[in-house]
Amino acid sequence: MNDVFQSLDPRINRLGVTVEGHLEAKSSLDQFETYEVFFQMKEGKPYEHAGIVHAPNEDMAFLFGKEQFSRRYTCTGMWIVKTHQVITSPITDHEQSAYDLLDHRLAETELNELSHFEVFHLKKRGRQQVHMGRVQAKGYHDAFKQASEHFGTEPALQVWVIRSQDLLFSDEADKDIWFTLPEKKYRDAIAYKSSDKINAYKERTAKQ
Amino acid sequence: MYGGGNTFEPIKATGLEMEDPAKLAEFEARIERGEKIEPQDWMPNLYRKQLIRMIEQHAHSEIIGALPEGTWITRAPGFRRKLAQMAKVQDEVGHAQLLYSAAETLGKSREDMITDLINGKSKYSNIFNYPAFTWADSTVISWLVDAGAIVNQIANAKGSYGPYCRALDRICAEESFHLKYGHDAVVHLATGTPIQRKMLQEALNRWWTPLMHFFGPPDKMSVHTEILVKWKVKMATNDECRQQFLDMYVPKIWELGLSLPDPKLHKNAETGEWEYTEPDWEEFKRVINGDGPCNAERLAVRRTAEERGAWVRKALLSPKATYVTPLA
Amino acid sequence: MKELAIKELLYKMADDLLILGHRNSEWTGIGPILEEDIAFSSMAQDKVGQSWALYKMLQVLGEQEPDTVAFTRNAPQFHSCKFVELPIGEYDFSLVRHFLFDTADLLRFDLLSRSSYTPLAQLATKIKGELKYHTMHANTWIKQLGSVEDEEAFQRMQYALDVALPFALGIFEEGPYEQSLADEKIFAGEVHLKSLWLEKIQETLSKTRLVLGDVSLISPELGGRYGQHTEFLQPLLDEMTEVFKVDPTAEW
Ligand SMILES: [Fe+2]
Ligand SMILES: [Fe+2]
Repeated sequence: MNDVFQSLDPRINRLGVTVEGHLEAKSSLDQFETYEVFFQMKEGKPYEHAGIVHAPNEDMAFLFGKEQFSRRYTCTGMWIVKTHQVITSPITDHEQSAYDLLDHRLAETELNELSHFEVFHLKKRGRQQVHMGRVQAKGYHDAFKQASEHFGTEPALQVWVIRSQDLLFSDEADKDIWFTLPEKKYRDAIAYKSSDKINAYKERTAKQ
Repeated sequence: MYGGGNTFEPIKATGLEMEDPAKLAEFEARIERGEKIEPQDWMPNLYRKQLIRMIEQHAHSEIIGALPEGTWITRAPGFRRKLAQMAKVQDEVGHAQLLYSAAETLGKSREDMITDLINGKSKYSNIFNYPAFTWADSTVISWLVDAGAIVNQIANAKGSYGPYCRALDRICAEESFHLKYGHDAVVHLATGTPIQRKMLQEALNRWWTPLMHFFGPPDKMSVHTEILVKWKVKMATNDECRQQFLDMYVPKIWELGLSLPDPKLHKNAETGEWEYTEPDWEEFKRVINGDGPCNAERLAVRRTAEERGAWVRKALLSPKATYVTPLA
Repeated sequence: MKELAIKELLYKMADDLLILGHRNSEWTGIGPILEEDIAFSSMAQDKVGQSWALYKMLQVLGEQEPDTVAFTRNAPQFHSCKFVELPIGEYDFSLVRHFLFDTADLLRFDLLSRSSYTPLAQLATKIKGELKYHTMHANTWIKQLGSVEDEEAFQRMQYALDVALPFALGIFEEGPYEQSLADEKIFAGEVHLKSLWLEKIQETLSKTRLVLGDVSLISPELGGRYGQHTEFLQPLLDEMTEVFKVDPTAEW
């Protein structure tokens, strides 16, 4: 029989955590694959890359992304895509545009019909990828070419291209899931002002 | 949260001679110019290994760091505290998520990191191996442990690895809530009833040694690796961080009429440096090597959480899933 | 009469949300995967926040301040249904409870958004999006875990559903003022809510392999609305108020 921990944490006592035990090495994909999350902070602002979530599918990724990347400030929309569905250019330095490095990199089969692609730029190292706009193209290779024509004059240390149909876009009608964010003041530093209490204490003790 | 934690382990700065000198020069020049390194850039192996180790330990510290304050999540007094305590502990879980993701961009999977944490192969900040006996302990953690973490994290946010810096920027913004919340809760106890004051003073006494340990051993006892400073992996020394912490927070503790259990603690007016009794570094080593009051419990809780969640993850895993390294 | 009826309604809603929010917060830091841990915590916070808003409404009606009401009463004074006080169990039960309760909660607030009692109608309108996310979350999980091929997971979910159902039916225990609440167009009543709820959960469950027991044959776990609780509520309250009760007059 395995001994159970007596914890100071009542939740842990209810879990029945055993003293002895060893975790079998996690198998690959125990934590699922990853999805890239983009979000829009305000109406009219471009979507920005926020980070990744591990999730079993895109619907879950959406649920997870919302609370991991938009539980503070404001948010008006979110996009989700599987990491491997993002096609990236090489990364470059400030003097050079990533579009200049492209030519021979992408040799996959072109699609027969036109599709939409979302284009993102890394404008400065250390920053996030920012959505530049949408292009129509016959494949990824073509999409980079189109992107270069449309956005080539903008700083582009690295370019990401994603087929629009691979993205899960938050529903226009579901924007209200973010509406009460500004009300959750208890999560904000500014809600905590203790200077009055400190001053009152100092006055009280100075008199004694 | 994070501390200087693990600096007793020397790193082996070998293998550099195997790297391509032209690429290495380009890499170093980029850091020298103050530009960030991104995951798709060429980087020396040693840089990759060190960053993985550091970010991974930081991530572990966040997820384990959710436990001491989690101890009080169901007992926080009143609505304001109840909500904030929930949000604060949640943020720490979120920080772990962000940091594991940053480490993943360097090529180590989250599965491997969690396995290494639970099986004791990988370390986390020592301070979370201490118990939170009362509500006051929890407030001291929220304020001062997070304050220490912020000193570290602000320094690291100026480092050279893009994904780590981006994670830290977000983390630091959330830490400012933790710090203010913790301070507010401490101030309420300090200026409250005699019982409240007493429980706070006792908690402060308990946490002082772990807080002094938090930034790691003194520089004169630590292993230095010039190359990590040059590559902007190590951004400040243990003593620099400790001094900054003391300078910012000891006056705020004293202004509340609270005492600290070190009669030698004072700021030397001439040097501008804080002087103090060296904490027991043998204890630090003992705890790091597994023999602290809560090491076994912390890891057992993580193990249990992973085991109890296993059926959920197994059921949802799609046979078509393929893992690729996340992008940024 | 009207004010008594409103208070009774507010109390049971606030108590439900506080107790379930409290229960669900127990998962923070020990959930099945980091991302879900975060999402579940947010929803627990929302619930506690919503209960706080309802207790504030009660304060306007002359009741004591929210902290006193929430942190000093004993189990017999709580109007929450028995469902919310049950321990979190394993994630199967917590998810099923989340699905069954939050579906009812969304529908309840939706009815209340048209309430003649303006403060409640305003709150209902404000938190509509919050509740939408909660049910989005619940439905996604139930649809997925309820349809998986993995037999262990499916059995767990079906078992949790069977255990939860009588307690979930206790959500709709009628109060003493159903008629006057309906007459005054404050709230359409528990019977009406229950029928809407049954339809909604059937709709979601029909997309899964899960089977809902025959509700007409199940006797609901009642009594919560009248202060009769399981053995789990008083210890929950003792724990929740442990620090507060060190000195209820102190500021914490
Ligand atoms: Fe943190
Ligand atoms: Fe923190």
